[in-house]
Amino acid sequence: MSNASLSAARDGNAPLGNARWQTPEALRRISRRNAAERRFKLIGLGAIVLSLAFLALLLVIMLKNGLGGLDWSFLSGSDSTDPDIAGVWGAAKGSLLTMAVTLLLSFPMGVLAAIYLEEFAPRSRWIEWVEVSINNLAAVPSIIFGLLGLAVFINTLGMPRSSPLVGGLTLALMTMPVIVISGRNAIKAVPPSIRDAALAIGASKMQTVFHHVLPLALPGILTGTIIGMARALGETAPLLMIGMRAFVVTPPGGITDPSSVLPMQIFLWSDEIDTGFVQNTSAAIIVLLVFLLAMNGLAIYLRNKFEVRW
Amino acid sequence: MILTGVLLAVLGLGLVGWFAARGRARLLHTGRGSIHSMPGYHAWHVALWIVFPALIAWGAWQAIMPGLVDGAVMADPVAAQLPADAMSRAAILSEAKSIADNPDAVAFNPLANTLAGPVRDAHGRFGLIGALLVAIVAVAGGGWAFTRIRANFPARTRVERGVLGLLLVASLMAILTTFGIVASLVFEAGMFFKDVSPIDFLTGLHWSPGSARGDNLGDSFGAVPLFWGTIYIGAIIAMIVAIPLGLMSAIYLTQYATPTIRKWLKPMLEILAGIPTVVYGYFAALTVAPIFRDFAASLGMANPSTESALAAGVVMGVMIIPFVSSMADDALAAVPRAMSDGSLALGATKSETIKKVLLPAALPGIVAGVMLAISRAIGETMIVVMAAGAAANLSANPFASMTTVTYQIVQMLTGDQEFNSPKTLSAFALGLVLFIVTLILNIIALRVVKRFREAYE
Repeated sequence: MSNASLSAARDGNAPLGNARWQTPEALRRISRRNAAERRFKLIGLGAIVLSLAFLALLLVIMLKNGLGGLDWSFLSGSDSTDPDIAGVWGAAKGSLLTMAVTLLLSFPMGVLAAIYLEEFAPRSRWIEWVEVSINNLAAVPSIIFGLLGLAVFINTLGMPRSSPLVGGLTLALMTMPVIVISGRNAIKAVPPSIRDAALAIGASKMQTVFHHVLPLALPGILTGTIIGMARALGETAPLLMIGMRAFVVTPPGGITDPSSVLPMQIFLWSDEIDTGFVQNTSAAIIVLLVFLLAMNGLAIYLRNKFEVRW
Repeated sequence: MILTGVLLAVLGLGLVGWFAARGRARLLHTGRGSIHSMPGYHAWHVALWIVFPALIAWGAWQAIMPGLVDGAVMADPVAAQLPADAMSRAAILSEAKSIADNPDAVAFNPLANTLAGPVRDAHGRFGLIGALLVAIVAVAGGGWAFTRIRANFPARTRVERGVLGLLLVASLMAILTTFGIVASLVFEAGMFFKDVSPIDFLTGLHWSPGSARGDNLGDSFGAVPLFWGTIYIGAIIAMIVAIPLGLMSAIYLTQYATPTIRKWLKPMLEILAGIPTVVYGYFAALTVAPIFRDFAASLGMANPSTESALAAGVVMGVMIIPFVSSMADDALAAVPRAMSDGSLALGATKSETIKKVLLPAALPGIVAGVMLAISRAIGETMIVVMAAGAAANLSANPFASMTTVTYQIVQMLTGDQEFNSPKTLSAFALGLVLFIVTLILNIIALRVVKRFREAYE
């Protein structure tokens, strides 16, 4: 049977050479199978459309409730018991300080660990333990990191409660495995010929890694870091554990002052009985989502701009 | 504080040492013969010798200084008026410290005001001693390294050895974190299990820490209703939503969609995974829960509660969809092309091939993905905190309010009870259970995925 007649048979209505295909029963069976085929494809499309419809509904409701509350006084004010003068800047500054601590700790640590594991680590029991614990840490529920922060940083080391310092440390422990894993993948993607060339003209192993491999892997590492930081920015549960739910009327001045963060502000406002806070909560959600969207957009841009296919 | 200034000064000194050493090493370059290391490595060698010993000294001094300050304050004549009771003594002392840091603070106890002076003096004195110590260490280290700048000194080897040590320390952080988690959970949970037997905790049917009194603590800390709520919301309702939707969207994206459609739809689906859980929680409480409540009322249920297991579970399921989808995507992609080609060649339609060949072949990978998704769902906190409720019900009614392990951890640790009560410690016991269960799920799932990949390679 030729290709054309085969596709005609699929349609179930074209004349065919073989009479067996033309009995009414066979044609019915073929059209039934075709219908099943179409149905299955539609179910698949339906699943995606349903998921995206949920996303659209969420965004539309937040925009509808929140857009009216987005004005300059909201963006520049701090928390208050009065929904009309409450603003988001205090929490946003807390988030910025917390993220700064997280980035300063987790980025160098994560990159250095990734370099060691990918380029220098000998095959040993120890290194296997390190790899297993990194893979598991990436999957540990975030609230467990909060318990760690509470028990170690606050109760044992006596650091100031509800400060960006402790929040940043806790989130750094959570973000580091993400950076290590993406860093290792980026370093692995640099072809061995680059290393061989550097070594062949007399570079030491360390020079090869820091002068040649790392710069080539950096866009991949940065993409992973931004995604990890975006996750940390939206995280609430571990910060709830270390008491970052302070009612902060003035923006924090430093990393040891009590402060709140954006997701926590959303959580606190969502608990308020005054209906004026519904608008504030949704507006704060819009602010948070804009930040996250910008970060993810930057990650995608970096990946597209610097990605090299070897 | 003076010690922070010292830290900056050390870094500045390191910079100065770097340039000085490079300048000196460059002079060697003009002499006869060759030098072992480039001037830059001599510079790093000196800078590292300035900064690292000084940092270690600084950290050590930070650790012992509070003890020295306390000792000095206690030796002060004013301290003789302090009450003998250790607890109130410590309270006044910490109040005095906060006044010493911040002169505007108002003292609750007048004694703290008088003590603030000695505290400030001791702080200044020991701060100065520490600063001097750090400075001496930095100068000594830098000076020693500076004298070693010679043509034949292997500065590069030394610097590289130092950097290798740094890399090793960074990679050990992961083990340290794991160890910290296990140690803190086991330690605090151990304190809890001194009061409440593990058997009562793991098999008891009654959870009401608020009414826990006296010696029958075991009766109020039965965690089975929490485990049931967690499984019901995270592993049953959420998966009923996430598995069909995630799996079907993965099938559509990998088997039917054209590359252009896939390029657009996949990132859009992944936005669902990037939305913070607190946003989902708010959405569940604000929009989804009232819909389900009205639906329950229209079914003729008396007094349906706004906080329902169904609302939390459904929203959690939607959050998990992209995760299930991308795991299923990987599993389907790992099935060799020859298998589906063979099925198509025998005359099966595409959907028949997917149902009868691809899915069974990819099943281990998909099951592992679902296990990872469950471990994610049961550790999820904000959605259940905002939408599932606090009542520890042992019920199969999806419209009932139900509580979970993560909800109770939050409940026990927020609010201001003292730290070592059984109520707060129970949060760590729950955390330990959660950690162990997610760990087991992850280890099994990762092992299945690995074996599954090897089978087709």
